[in-house]
Amino acid sequence: MKTTNILVRRRITCLFLLAAAFLSLIVVRLAWIQFVRGDELREQGMVNRMRDVPVEAKRGSILDRNGNELVTSISADSVYAIPNHIEKPDQVAAQLAPILLMDEAKVKQIITKKSRFEWLKRKVDFETSEKIKALKIDGIGFAEESKRYYKQETLAPHILGFTGTDNQGLMGMEAAYNKELKGIQGRIVIEHDAAGREIPQALHQYIPATQGNNLVLTLDQTIQHFVERELDKIVASYNPKMAVIIVMDPKTGEVLAMGNRPTFSPTKWREVPQSVWDRNPAVWYNYEPGSTFKIITAASALEENAVKPNDRFYDPGYYQIADRKIRCWKDGGHGSQSFAEVVENSCNPGFIQTGLNLGKEKFYKYIRAFGFGQTTGIGLPGEARGIMIPEKDATNLNIGTMSIGQSIAVTPIQLITAIGAVANGGNLMKPQLVKRVEDYKGNVVREFKPEQVRKVISNETTTTTNQLLENVVFKGTGRNAYVDGYRVAGKTGTAQVVAERGGYASGKYVASFAGFAPVNDPKISVLIMIAEPQGGNYYGGQVAAPVFSSLALDVLRYLGVPEQKNLPKPTKINPWDVEEERIEVAVPNVVNLPLEEAQKLLREAGLAFESKGQGKMVYGQIPESGALVLSGTTVILDLSSGTSQTKQGEQVSVPNLKGKTIREAGNLLESLGLKLEPSGSGLAETQNPAEGAKLTRGSAVKVEFKPPSSDQKT
Amino acid sequence: MRLKKRPPDFVLFLTVLMLLCVGLVMVFSASQYVTMVRYGDSFYFFKRQLLWALLGLGAMVFMMNFNYNNLKRWIGPIVVTGFVLLTVVLIPGVGTETNGSQRWIDLGFMSFSPAEMVKLCLIMFVAFGLAKKGERIRDFKEGLLPYLVVMAIAAGLILKQPDLGTAMVLCGTIFIMLFAAGARLFHLGALGGAGVVMVGLAIALEPYRMSRFLAFLHPEADPQGTGYHIIQSLYALGSGGLFGMGLGQSKQKFLYLPENHTDFIFAITGEELGFIGASLIVLLFIMFVWRGLKIAVTSPDPFASLLAAGITSGISLQALMNMSVVTGSMPVTGVPLPFISYGGTSLLFTLIGIGIVLNISRFTNPR
Repeated sequence: MKTTNILVRRRITCLFLLAAAFLSLIVVRLAWIQFVRGDELREQGMVNRMRDVPVEAKRGSILDRNGNELVTSISADSVYAIPNHIEKPDQVAAQLAPILLMDEAKVKQIITKKSRFEWLKRKVDFETSEKIKALKIDGIGFAEESKRYYKQETLAPHILGFTGTDNQGLMGMEAAYNKELKGIQGRIVIEHDAAGREIPQALHQYIPATQGNNLVLTLDQTIQHFVERELDKIVASYNPKMAVIIVMDPKTGEVLAMGNRPTFSPTKWREVPQSVWDRNPAVWYNYEPGSTFKIITAASALEENAVKPNDRFYDPGYYQIADRKIRCWKDGGHGSQSFAEVVENSCNPGFIQTGLNLGKEKFYKYIRAFGFGQTTGIGLPGEARGIMIPEKDATNLNIGTMSIGQSIAVTPIQLITAIGAVANGGNLMKPQLVKRVEDYKGNVVREFKPEQVRKVISNETTTTTNQLLENVVFKGTGRNAYVDGYRVAGKTGTAQVVAERGGYASGKYVASFAGFAPVNDPKISVLIMIAEPQGGNYYGGQVAAPVFSSLALDVLRYLGVPEQKNLPKPTKINPWDVEEERIEVAVPNVVNLPLEEAQKLLREAGLAFESKGQGKMVYGQIPESGALVLSGTTVILDLSSGTSQTKQGEQVSVPNLKGKTIREAGNLLESLGLKLEPSGSGLAETQNPAEGAKLTRGSAVKVEFKPPSSDQKT
Repeated sequence: MRLKKRPPDFVLFLTVLMLLCVGLVMVFSASQYVTMVRYGDSFYFFKRQLLWALLGLGAMVFMMNFNYNNLKRWIGPIVVTGFVLLTVVLIPGVGTETNGSQRWIDLGFMSFSPAEMVKLCLIMFVAFGLAKKGERIRDFKEGLLPYLVVMAIAAGLILKQPDLGTAMVLCGTIFIMLFAAGARLFHLGALGGAGVVMVGLAIALEPYRMSRFLAFLHPEADPQGTGYHIIQSLYALGSGGLFGMGLGQSKQKFLYLPENHTDFIFAITGEELGFIGASLIVLLFIMFVWRGLKIAVTSPDPFASLLAAGITSGISLQALMNMSVVTGSMPVTGVPLPFISYGGTSLLFTLIGIGIVLNISRFTNPR
């Protein structure tokens, strides 16, 4: 046989060289992977094999301005399962379910999940975790987590807010400063196999968590206590729909206390309606400030020299602009008076005149300069801006009503901030809730200094304004706010609640008082706002001013503000001699109009309405068109055709009016289609016809009003 | 023809023994955790591999002493048997299905993979045929076509399983043999081009191959899916560095790297023994090619020459493919690393092939 030929030998040699070359390339490739990319790949592989068990950072505390802890974190065990490690899920579920107070099937479902890590129950109490630890079940572990602890559960929950299960801030400061408070999560890293089991000789790594920063608020725990106490008293006496008290340092804008009703407990927030915890009325609630806003009108007009304290005004008892007659709260009016007296008396016509003298442009300039219509930047979630009629749309009537705090809606924080500027010499300060952020060792991380937004009015103007406001408390409508031993300035306010559909809600009021003390060197400015108080009394001077008196006394004494001896005392105030804003409007004719159009007309006129019967056309209305009624009065619209004429002659029975004020009696009769013929002043004493008598609609009831006897106190 | 036999090539024998030993150790190390988890016995795969290795060594020694010329008489029946088994394995119920492919015939005490046997059969058949053709190999129709047809049938059947890797190794080996036998480069070039097109089609037609193919280019695009094997393999190799993590110290074997005792055993080796260990294995393969092809060049007749070259290149080609896959240099095609990977049939027929080459080495001309 012939030997292998040359060609074959050459080809095989060639093959060897090729094979050797390719295999050498593999060595080169290995070197590239193992040397050049080695560290990177080793690291990535390790990360890939590591499983994290997160270690929660201890959440920072929230402290008051004096360093008292308001909210802090305590540790609690959370129970988790590593489903792969649980050998007898049925047995384990049966053991754990009763201790964890969970459904057995639910426990089993969790511990049989195809997962490496499942929470069974978060933040259990000490006994529960001890019981489970004693069972020593493989695959059941414990992670130390922290749980929020409130030193005083009822203290300022709207400001502090609360956290969710994962300690994430949900509301209030907890939400606004979540980043600062939460800290940095730590980790326990353990090397695992691809199925989630810890491998033999696994790498362990512990990366400790960094504790969250502490938040030092401007709140003063003690003052907050006073505020919560006063709010509780308000709820007990008047059970209002809502109440807000804000105490501020007028010179710095720092909020010393802020409380709301209804309130809630931060640990049980799920148990109350969402509307209670998801908004802070102090920064969210838009309301008509009423006479408290006259402080702004007066200060602006004095600054612009639109009025001087000694200017004379004449109040015939009403002020007419266009078709509206805005009445002074005092029947018959205040007659001739100086501007100082206008302020003392809270005289509506006097203020309307002042506002109109100031003029739209300047009035709007000051309203904006005082911070209305924009958020204050206090840093709480959900702050509202207030509602203002756009300047270009504002009529003289609007300017007139805005002068007395109507046709404008503000938030409590806006108003107290603006009044702080009047108190402190004209500087609008940015309201502040946070003094500083500290790390857990107490080093300052961020500090918030008092911030002046702008200079609004001059020192001289504020001195004059404050003198006028002091007189309001000393001898005017705010006498119930007087604080023995301190010079107090302030203004009462009673306004109607703006109905949801526009116009005013009949019989619903906001009573408020805004004031500050001591006048010569203000330490606190306070706003008390009580929305829809129940039980008859709703005047700011009756309901809110006494709260100021009692609160301011405690706060000023607590702050160590020296009392001034021998201050003159105000004269006693008659319980019925309190202001009442009234706007009378002529009822428009809506008969034979489509319902929607009729409603629109009434809304624009500031009237409420109620429909009777089915239909889309209005066939009758009560009261009739042209009648002068208080704004907010309900107009009854008859939608059933053919019955409108008989309705007019319908009989109604006369209600009992005894003990009612003129206004209450008028409202009640108007709603029945009857007219009031009043005489005298004070509270209703006698009436004719008597209760129960049948009258046709449109008839008048004569009522005599008398001041109540002196032993009757309110 | 010299009848006096010389002793077989000692270097080749030793190289193979060394590879085999490394393989046994690595099969144990790589599979120890998986088998512990799966069967509760760390030695489960090791014991089986050891048994196959001993069986293979016995077969090798037997073939070493079995005159290769006598193989010629058996080629017909062997090839027929190979094809029958390759067909039978595709019948449902006969072939065992694992991971979506039907590659094994379960014999009860062991699984048998016909494709591994057919590779060796075809090498013998082609070597025999080409040796007879001699110069006529330069003619396409007469010299090349018959073998190409046989190869295509075998490859087609293997692809049916489907087992692209083994089919590629088979075709590549036959191609190398045609080259070694002296086929015209023009023909080979055309064939090579056709082969590339076919492989391209095979990849394009099967979506899973396509995604695997793309994954090799950008494994990090889908680290949990198609890129998973390559990424985990690179993690293993990268962790090894120069000296490795130490024998038994692999971390990627904790269920991260799939097939860590079969197709990806080289990655675990690189992780535990480092660059030094991995390159030594490559070096052993270079040595293996050198001795194998040297025997082919110095063998007494064209049949022996082509047979030795075919067996040597088949094994080397498979090793090269496996190591390319593991190092992320080519798309993932599941072929085991000869001598090292776990897999009984593969080891048995590899060692039978080595036995044949060693037998041929006894007839070579000393130069």
